Amino acid sequence: MDKQRLSRQRDGSRPRRQLPMNQPASLSSPNVLLEAVARGSELALKRLYALESRRLYGIALRIVRRPEVAADVLQDSFVQIWQNAGSFVPERGAAAAWLTGIVRFRALDAVRKHGREILSGDPTLGEAAVEPEALSRLDADADATALRHCLEALEANQRRSIILAFVDGLSHSEIATRISAPLGTVKSWVRRGLAALKGCLTP
Amino acid sequence: MIPNDPEERDALAGEYVLGVLDAEQAREVDIALATDGELRAAVAFWEKKLHPLSALAEPADPPITTWEAIETHVLAAKISPRSSAGAAPWRLSTAAFAALAAALLVYVAVVPRMTPPPASPLVAVLQTSPGHGASWVAVIGQDGLKLSELTNQRPPTKRAYELWGIAPHATRPVPLGVIPSNGKMQLAALPNGVSAGATLAISIEPPSGSPTGLPTGPVVFTGVLRTT
Repeated sequence: MDKQRLSRQRDGSRPRRQLPMNQPASLSSPNVLLEAVARGSELALKRLYALESRRLYGIALRIVRRPEVAADVLQDSFVQIWQNAGSFVPERGAAAAWLTGIVRFRALDAVRKHGREILSGDPTLGEAAVEPEALSRLDADADATALRHCLEALEANQRRSIILAFVDGLSHSEIATRISAPLGTVKSWVRRGLAALKGCLTP
Repeated sequence: MIPNDPEERDALAGEYVLGVLDAEQAREVDIALATDGELRAAVAFWEKKLHPLSALAEPADPPITTWEAIETHVLAAKISPRSSAGAAPWRLSTAAFAALAAALLVYVAVVPRMTPPPASPLVAVLQTSPGHGASWVAVIGQDGLKLSELTNQRPPTKRAYELWGIAPHATRPVPLGVIPSNGKMQLAALPNGVSAGATLAISIEPPSGSPTGLPTGPVVFTGVLRTT
Protein backbone atom coordinates (compact mmCIF):
# COMPACT_ATOMS: atom_id res chain seq x y z
CA MET A 1 0.00 0.00 0.00
CA ASP A 2 2.66 2.42 1.05
CA LYS A 3 4.79 1.34 -1.85
CA GLN A 4 2.03 2.24 -4.22
CA ARG A 5 1.34 5.52 -2.54
CA LEU A 6 4.92 6.62 -2.56
CA SER A 7 5.75 5.70 -6.08
CA ARG A 8 2.58 7.00 -7.67
CA GLN A 9 3.27 10.03 -9.81
CA ARG A 10 1.12 13.02 -9.05
CA ASP A 11 1.50 14.45 -12.50
CA GLY A 12 1.26 11.15 -14.30
CA SER A 13 4.82 11.28 -15.53
CA ARG A 14 7.03 8.22 -15.64
CA PRO A 15 8.40 7.24 -12.23
CA ARG A 16 12.10 8.03 -11.94
CA ARG A 17 12.58 4.83 -10.04
CA GLN A 18 10.67 2.61 -7.69
CA LEU A 19 11.25 3.20 -4.02
CA PRO A 20 12.54 0.05 -2.36
CA MET A 21 10.09 0.46 0.49
CA ASN A 22 10.41 -3.16 1.55
CA GLN A 23 13.96 -2.52 2.69
CA PRO A 24 13.91 -0.87 6.10
CA ALA A 25 17.41 0.55 5.68
CA SER A 26 16.35 2.70 2.77
CA LEU A 27 13.56 4.21 4.84
CA SER A 28 16.15 5.98 6.92
CA SER A 29 17.99 7.49 3.99
CA PRO A 30 17.40 11.22 3.57
CA ASN A 31 18.37 10.91 -0.10
CA VAL A 32 15.63 8.39 -0.88
CA LEU A 33 13.06 10.32 1.14
CA LEU A 34 13.98 13.60 -0.51
CA GLU A 35 13.54 12.09 -3.96
CA ALA A 36 10.08 10.87 -2.92
CA VAL A 37 9.27 14.35 -1.57
CA ALA A 38 10.22 15.76 -4.97
CA ARG A 39 7.61 13.48 -6.49
CA GLY A 40 4.98 14.90 -4.15
CA SER A 41 4.89 12.26 -1.42
CA GLU A 42 3.47 13.76 1.76
CA LEU A 43 4.32 10.57 3.63
CA ALA A 44 7.98 10.93 2.64
CA LEU A 45 7.98 14.51 3.94
CA LYS A 46 6.63 13.30 7.25
CA ARG A 47 9.28 10.59 7.44
CA LEU A 48 12.01 13.04 6.52
CA TYR A 49 10.80 15.29 9.34
CA ALA A 50 10.79 12.39 11.79
CA LEU A 51 14.31 11.51 10.73
CA GLU A 52 15.92 14.95 10.50
CA SER A 53 13.96 17.44 12.60
CA ARG A 54 15.94 17.00 15.85
CA ARG A 55 19.25 17.46 14.08
CA LEU A 56 18.05 20.43 12.04
CA TYR A 57 16.28 22.08 14.98
CA GLY A 58 19.51 21.74 16.98
CA ILE A 59 21.43 23.52 14.21
CA ALA A 60 18.85 26.33 14.06
CA LEU A 61 18.66 26.70 17.83
CA ARG A 62 22.43 26.96 18.14
CA ILE A 63 22.40 29.89 15.70
CA VAL A 64 19.25 31.81 16.66
CA ARG A 65 19.32 30.86 20.38
CA ARG A 66 15.58 31.38 20.84
CA PRO A 67 13.35 28.29 20.73
CA GLU A 68 10.37 30.07 19.15
CA VAL A 69 12.55 31.55 16.41
CA ALA A 70 14.24 28.19 15.83
CA ALA A 71 10.80 26.56 15.50
CA ASP A 72 9.84 29.15 12.86
CA VAL A 73 13.11 28.52 11.03
CA LEU A 74 12.43 24.77 11.03
CA GLN A 75 8.87 25.27 9.82
CA ASP A 76 9.87 27.62 6.99
CA SER A 77 12.69 25.29 6.04
CA PHE A 78 10.36 22.33 5.64
CA VAL A 79 7.94 24.35 3.55
CA GLN A 80 10.91 25.25 1.36
CA ILE A 81 12.11 21.64 1.30
CA TRP A 82 8.65 20.57 0.10
CA GLN A 83 8.64 23.18 -2.63
CA ASN A 84 12.24 22.86 -3.77
CA ALA A 85 12.95 19.15 -3.32
CA GLY A 86 12.99 18.85 -7.11
CA SER A 87 16.06 21.05 -7.31
CA PHE A 88 18.06 18.68 -5.12
CA VAL A 89 20.66 16.89 -7.22
CA PRO A 90 21.04 13.39 -5.77
CA GLU A 91 24.59 12.59 -4.88
CA ARG A 92 25.86 10.15 -2.35
CA GLY A 93 25.32 11.50 1.14
CA ALA A 94 24.43 14.94 -0.09
CA ALA A 95 20.82 15.19 1.10
CA ALA A 96 21.81 15.86 4.71
CA ALA A 97 24.12 18.70 3.59
CA TRP A 98 21.37 20.11 1.37
CA LEU A 99 18.94 20.14 4.30
CA THR A 100 21.54 21.67 6.60
CA GLY A 101 22.23 24.40 4.04
CA ILE A 102 18.57 25.40 3.93
CA VAL A 103 18.23 25.51 7.70
CA ARG A 104 21.52 27.38 8.29
CA PHE A 105 20.69 30.08 5.78
CA ARG A 106 17.16 30.52 7.11
CA ALA A 107 18.60 30.74 10.61
CA LEU A 108 21.26 33.25 9.58
CA ASP A 109 18.59 35.25 7.80
CA ALA A 110 16.44 35.26 10.94
CA VAL A 111 19.42 36.48 12.97
CA ARG A 112 20.16 39.25 10.47
CA LYS A 113 16.51 40.30 10.42
CA HIS A 114 15.47 40.04 14.04
CA GLY A 115 18.78 40.17 15.82
CA ARG A 116 20.02 37.52 18.13
CA GLU A 117 19.02 37.05 21.71
CA ILE A 118 22.23 38.57 22.95
CA LEU A 119 23.66 36.21 25.45
CA SER A 120 26.98 37.97 25.70
CA GLY A 121 26.79 37.44 29.43
CA ASP A 122 26.47 33.74 28.85
CA PRO A 123 29.98 32.42 29.36
CA THR A 124 29.19 29.20 27.57
CA LEU A 125 28.22 30.85 24.30
CA GLY A 126 30.35 29.28 21.63
CA GLU A 127 32.82 27.84 24.09
CA ALA A 128 31.82 24.23 23.60
CA ALA A 129 32.59 24.39 19.92
CA VAL A 130 35.83 26.26 20.36
CA GLU A 131 37.57 23.76 22.58
CA PRO A 132 39.92 21.66 20.44
CA GLU A 133 38.48 18.46 21.88
CA ALA A 134 35.07 19.49 20.52
CA LEU A 135 36.31 18.30 17.15
CA SER A 136 36.43 14.79 18.53
CA ARG A 137 32.62 14.93 18.45
CA LEU A 138 32.63 15.03 14.67
CA ASP A 139 31.41 11.92 12.91
CA ALA A 140 33.87 9.22 11.95
CA ASP A 141 33.09 9.16 8.23
CA ALA A 142 35.68 10.12 5.63
CA ASP A 143 34.46 13.70 5.02
CA ALA A 144 34.31 14.50 8.72
CA THR A 145 37.71 12.93 9.38
CA ALA A 146 39.31 14.92 6.57
CA LEU A 147 37.76 18.15 7.84
CA ARG A 148 38.86 17.42 11.38
CA HIS A 149 42.47 16.83 10.36
CA CYS A 150 42.49 20.00 8.28
CA LEU A 151 40.93 22.08 11.07
CA GLU A 152 43.42 20.72 13.59
CA ALA A 153 46.22 21.84 11.32
CA LEU A 154 45.02 25.48 11.43
CA GLU A 155 46.27 28.07 13.89
CA ALA A 156 44.03 28.06 16.95
CA ASN A 157 42.51 31.48 16.26
CA GLN A 158 41.74 30.63 12.65
CA ARG A 159 40.05 27.41 13.77
CA ARG A 160 38.06 29.14 16.52
CA SER A 161 36.86 31.85 14.16
CA ILE A 162 35.71 29.40 11.50
CA ILE A 163 33.90 27.18 13.99
CA LEU A 164 32.20 30.13 15.70
CA ALA A 165 31.03 31.36 12.30
CA PHE A 166 29.75 28.03 11.00
CA VAL A 167 28.33 26.42 14.12
CA ASP A 168 27.16 29.47 16.08
CA GLY A 169 26.44 31.63 13.06
CA LEU A 170 28.47 34.53 14.46
CA SER A 171 29.40 37.43 12.17
CA HIS A 172 32.93 38.84 11.97
CA SER A 173 32.14 41.49 14.54
CA GLU A 174 30.41 39.05 16.88
CA ILE A 175 33.47 36.81 16.75
CA ALA A 176 35.68 39.82 17.45
CA THR A 177 33.61 40.66 20.54
CA ARG A 178 33.44 37.05 21.58
CA ILE A 179 37.17 36.41 21.58
CA SER A 180 38.26 40.01 22.25
CA ALA A 181 40.20 40.54 19.04
CA PRO A 182 40.20 43.45 16.59
CA LEU A 183 37.67 43.13 13.75
CA GLY A 184 40.30 43.29 10.99
CA THR A 185 42.30 40.57 12.67
CA VAL A 186 39.28 38.29 12.85
CA LYS A 187 38.54 38.90 9.17
CA SER A 188 42.04 37.89 8.22
CA TRP A 189 41.93 34.81 10.49
CA VAL A 190 38.79 33.67 8.68
CA ARG A 191 40.29 34.39 5.25
CA ARG A 192 43.60 32.71 5.92
CA GLY A 193 41.89 29.82 7.65
CA LEU A 194 39.64 29.26 4.64
CA ALA A 195 42.60 29.43 2.24
CA ALA A 196 44.50 26.85 4.29
CA LEU A 197 41.41 24.63 4.54
CA LYS A 198 40.86 24.85 0.81
CA GLY A 199 44.42 23.67 0.17
CA CYS A 200 44.12 20.90 2.74
CA LEU A 201 40.68 19.65 1.60
CA THR A 202 41.36 19.71 -2.13
CA PRO A 203 42.60 16.33 -3.28
CA MET B 1 32.08 43.35 -6.25
CA ILE B 2 32.72 39.71 -7.08
CA PRO B 3 36.50 39.31 -7.52
CA ASN B 4 38.02 37.65 -10.58
CA ASP B 5 41.01 36.11 -8.84
CA PRO B 6 40.25 32.39 -8.23
CA GLU B 7 41.63 32.40 -4.69
CA GLU B 8 39.67 35.52 -3.79
CA ARG B 9 36.53 33.94 -5.20
CA ASP B 10 37.07 30.76 -3.20
CA ALA B 11 37.53 32.80 -0.04
CA LEU B 12 34.39 34.82 -0.77
CA ALA B 13 32.40 31.63 -1.38
CA GLY B 14 33.71 30.24 1.90
CA GLU B 15 32.74 33.39 3.80
CA TYR B 16 29.32 33.22 2.18
CA VAL B 17 28.78 29.65 3.34
CA LEU B 18 30.14 30.43 6.81
CA GLY B 19 27.62 33.27 6.97
CA VAL B 20 30.06 36.02 7.97
CA LEU B 21 29.27 38.36 5.06
CA ASP B 22 27.02 41.28 5.86
CA ALA B 23 23.58 41.43 4.28
CA GLU B 24 24.75 43.65 1.41
CA GLN B 25 27.71 41.43 0.48
CA ALA B 26 25.64 38.27 0.82
CA ARG B 27 23.04 39.71 -1.57
CA GLU B 28 25.75 40.50 -4.14
CA VAL B 29 26.81 36.86 -3.99
CA ASP B 30 23.19 35.69 -4.28
CA ILE B 31 22.73 37.70 -7.44
CA ALA B 32 26.05 36.56 -8.93
CA LEU B 33 25.16 32.92 -8.20
CA ALA B 34 22.22 33.09 -10.58
CA THR B 35 24.59 33.43 -13.53
CA ASP B 36 28.06 32.42 -12.31
CA GLY B 37 28.55 28.67 -12.54
CA GLU B 38 32.09 28.72 -11.14
CA LEU B 39 30.98 30.64 -8.08
CA ARG B 40 28.14 28.14 -7.60
CA ALA B 41 30.69 25.33 -7.71
CA ALA B 42 32.85 27.12 -5.14
CA VAL B 43 29.84 27.56 -2.82
CA ALA B 44 28.89 23.90 -3.29
CA PHE B 45 32.46 22.88 -2.37
CA TRP B 46 32.26 24.68 0.96
CA GLU B 47 28.72 23.51 1.73
CA LYS B 48 29.83 19.92 1.27
CA LYS B 49 33.20 20.18 2.99
CA LEU B 50 32.07 22.19 6.03
CA HIS B 51 28.87 20.23 6.54
CA PRO B 52 30.38 17.77 9.08
CA LEU B 53 30.92 20.72 11.45
CA SER B 54 27.15 21.02 11.85
CA ALA B 55 27.34 17.89 14.03
CA LEU B 56 28.75 20.13 16.79
CA ALA B 57 25.26 21.55 17.33
CA GLU B 58 23.44 19.29 19.77
CA PRO B 59 20.21 17.84 18.36
CA ALA B 60 17.14 19.03 20.26
CA ASP B 61 13.43 18.30 20.22
CA PRO B 62 11.41 20.90 18.31
CA PRO B 63 7.98 21.81 19.74
CA ILE B 64 5.38 19.22 18.75
CA THR B 65 3.32 21.99 17.20
CA THR B 66 5.97 22.58 14.52
CA TRP B 67 5.09 19.53 12.46
CA GLU B 68 1.40 20.37 12.77
CA ALA B 69 2.12 23.85 11.43
CA ILE B 70 4.11 22.43 8.53
CA GLU B 71 1.33 19.99 7.75
CA THR B 72 -1.22 22.80 7.80
CA HIS B 73 0.84 25.14 5.65
CA VAL B 74 2.16 22.64 3.18
CA LEU B 75 -0.29 19.83 2.95
CA ALA B 76 -3.60 21.51 3.63
CA ALA B 77 -2.72 24.34 1.28
CA LYS B 78 -1.88 21.74 -1.35
CA ILE B 79 1.16 23.56 -2.57
CA SER B 80 2.73 21.25 -5.08
CA PRO B 81 6.45 20.69 -4.99
CA ARG B 82 8.38 21.81 -7.99
CA SER B 83 8.63 19.01 -10.52
CA SER B 84 12.09 17.52 -10.62
CA ALA B 85 11.48 16.52 -14.21
CA GLY B 86 10.86 20.08 -15.32
CA ALA B 87 13.49 22.53 -16.41
CA ALA B 88 15.31 24.22 -13.55
CA PRO B 89 17.03 27.12 -15.22
CA TRP B 90 18.48 28.40 -11.99
CA ARG B 91 19.87 25.33 -10.34
CA LEU B 92 21.13 27.29 -7.37
CA SER B 93 22.86 25.86 -4.40
CA THR B 94 20.80 25.42 -1.30
CA ALA B 95 22.30 28.41 0.29
CA ALA B 96 21.57 30.56 -2.67
CA PHE B 97 17.97 29.41 -2.78
CA ALA B 98 17.15 30.46 0.73
CA ALA B 99 19.07 33.68 0.55
CA LEU B 100 17.97 34.64 -2.93
CA ALA B 101 14.34 34.14 -2.05
CA ALA B 102 14.80 36.34 0.98
CA ALA B 103 16.72 38.94 -0.99
CA LEU B 104 14.05 39.13 -3.65
CA LEU B 105 11.33 39.51 -1.05
CA VAL B 106 13.21 42.45 0.41
CA TYR B 107 13.77 43.86 -3.06
CA VAL B 108 10.11 43.69 -3.92
CA ALA B 109 9.16 45.13 -0.56
CA VAL B 110 11.44 48.16 -0.78
CA VAL B 111 10.77 49.00 -4.41
CA PRO B 112 7.13 50.00 -4.52
CA ARG B 113 7.74 52.43 -7.38
CA MET B 114 5.13 51.89 -10.01
CA THR B 115 5.08 52.73 -13.66
CA PRO B 116 2.66 55.57 -14.44
CA PRO B 117 -0.01 54.64 -17.00
CA PRO B 118 1.22 55.22 -20.56
CA ALA B 119 -0.13 58.09 -22.66
CA SER B 120 -1.09 55.71 -25.44
CA PRO B 121 -1.91 52.05 -24.91
CA LEU B 122 0.84 49.42 -25.09
CA VAL B 123 0.20 46.02 -26.55
CA ALA B 124 2.17 42.79 -26.32
CA VAL B 125 1.34 39.69 -28.28
CA LEU B 126 2.69 36.63 -26.53
CA GLN B 127 3.57 33.59 -28.57
CA THR B 128 5.59 30.42 -28.18
CA SER B 129 8.12 31.56 -30.77
CA PRO B 130 8.07 34.48 -33.20
CA GLY B 131 5.73 33.89 -36.12
CA HIS B 132 4.16 30.95 -34.32
CA GLY B 133 0.77 32.59 -33.93
CA ALA B 134 -0.57 34.67 -31.07
CA SER B 135 -1.60 32.87 -27.90
CA TRP B 136 -2.11 35.75 -25.49
CA VAL B 137 -2.54 39.47 -25.77
CA ALA B 138 -1.69 42.00 -23.09
CA VAL B 139 -2.89 45.59 -23.24
CA ILE B 140 -1.66 48.29 -20.89
CA GLY B 141 -3.91 51.35 -20.75
CA GLN B 142 -5.08 53.95 -18.26
CA ASP B 143 -6.57 51.30 -16.02
CA GLY B 144 -3.58 49.01 -15.93
CA LEU B 145 -2.77 45.72 -17.61
CA LYS B 146 -5.31 43.35 -19.09
CA LEU B 147 -4.19 39.93 -20.24
CA SER B 148 -6.41 37.57 -22.16
CA GLU B 149 -5.86 34.35 -24.04
CA LEU B 150 -6.54 34.20 -27.74
CA THR B 151 -6.34 30.46 -28.01
CA ASN B 152 -7.42 28.09 -25.28
CA GLN B 153 -4.25 27.58 -23.23
CA ARG B 154 -4.10 25.35 -20.19
CA PRO B 155 -1.06 24.68 -18.03
CA PRO B 156 -0.14 21.06 -17.24
CA THR B 157 -2.03 19.32 -14.43
CA LYS B 158 -1.33 20.82 -11.00
CA ARG B 159 0.62 23.67 -12.54
CA ALA B 160 -0.24 27.28 -13.22
CA TYR B 161 0.91 29.94 -15.65
CA GLU B 162 2.72 32.88 -14.09
CA LEU B 163 3.23 36.22 -15.80
CA TRP B 164 6.59 38.02 -15.65
CA GLY B 165 7.82 41.43 -16.75
CA ILE B 166 11.38 42.06 -17.90
CA ALA B 167 12.35 45.71 -18.18
CA PRO B 168 14.43 46.71 -21.26
CA HIS B 169 17.94 46.27 -19.85
CA ALA B 170 17.03 44.25 -16.78
CA THR B 171 18.84 41.05 -16.00
CA ARG B 172 16.01 39.44 -14.11
CA PRO B 173 12.25 39.12 -14.49
CA VAL B 174 9.78 40.61 -12.03
CA PRO B 175 6.83 38.41 -11.04
CA LEU B 176 3.47 39.92 -12.04
CA GLY B 177 1.28 37.16 -10.69
CA VAL B 178 -0.27 33.78 -11.32
CA ILE B 179 -2.73 33.80 -14.21
CA PRO B 180 -6.20 32.66 -13.07
CA SER B 181 -7.43 29.43 -14.61
CA ASN B 182 -9.96 31.28 -16.78
CA GLY B 183 -7.00 32.75 -18.69
CA LYS B 184 -7.87 36.37 -17.85
CA MET B 185 -5.87 38.68 -15.66
CA GLN B 186 -6.03 42.33 -14.71
CA LEU B 187 -3.42 44.38 -12.86
CA ALA B 188 -4.12 47.93 -11.74
CA ALA B 189 -0.50 48.84 -11.07
CA LEU B 190 2.70 47.64 -12.70
CA PRO B 191 6.24 47.64 -11.32
CA ASN B 192 8.69 50.20 -12.63
CA GLY B 193 10.19 49.22 -15.95
CA VAL B 194 7.22 47.24 -17.22
CA SER B 195 6.57 49.77 -19.97
CA ALA B 196 7.30 50.22 -23.69
CA GLY B 197 10.08 47.89 -24.81
CA ALA B 198 9.72 45.55 -21.86
CA THR B 199 9.16 41.85 -22.42
CA LEU B 200 6.26 39.93 -20.93
CA ALA B 201 6.78 36.23 -20.37
CA ILE B 202 4.69 33.33 -19.11
CA SER B 203 6.24 30.35 -17.33
CA ILE B 204 4.88 27.13 -15.89
CA GLU B 205 4.95 27.18 -12.09
CA PRO B 206 3.44 25.52 -9.02
CA PRO B 207 -0.22 26.50 -8.49
CA SER B 208 0.67 29.18 -5.96
CA GLY B 209 3.37 30.66 -8.19
CA SER B 210 7.14 30.43 -8.21
CA PRO B 211 8.43 29.88 -4.67
CA THR B 212 11.72 31.63 -5.47
CA GLY B 213 10.59 34.87 -7.09
CA LEU B 214 12.21 33.79 -10.36
CA PRO B 215 10.77 31.48 -13.01
CA THR B 216 11.37 27.89 -11.94
CA GLY B 217 9.67 26.15 -14.83
CA PRO B 218 10.00 26.60 -18.58
CA VAL B 219 9.10 29.96 -20.14
CA VAL B 220 6.46 29.06 -22.70
CA PHE B 221 5.24 32.40 -24.11
CA THR B 222 6.97 35.75 -24.64
CA GLY B 223 6.15 39.06 -26.26
CA VAL B 224 7.42 42.66 -26.29
CA LEU B 225 5.30 45.62 -25.20
CA ARG B 226 4.96 48.12 -28.04
CA THR B 227 3.04 51.34 -28.55
CA THR B 228 0.06 50.99 -30.85
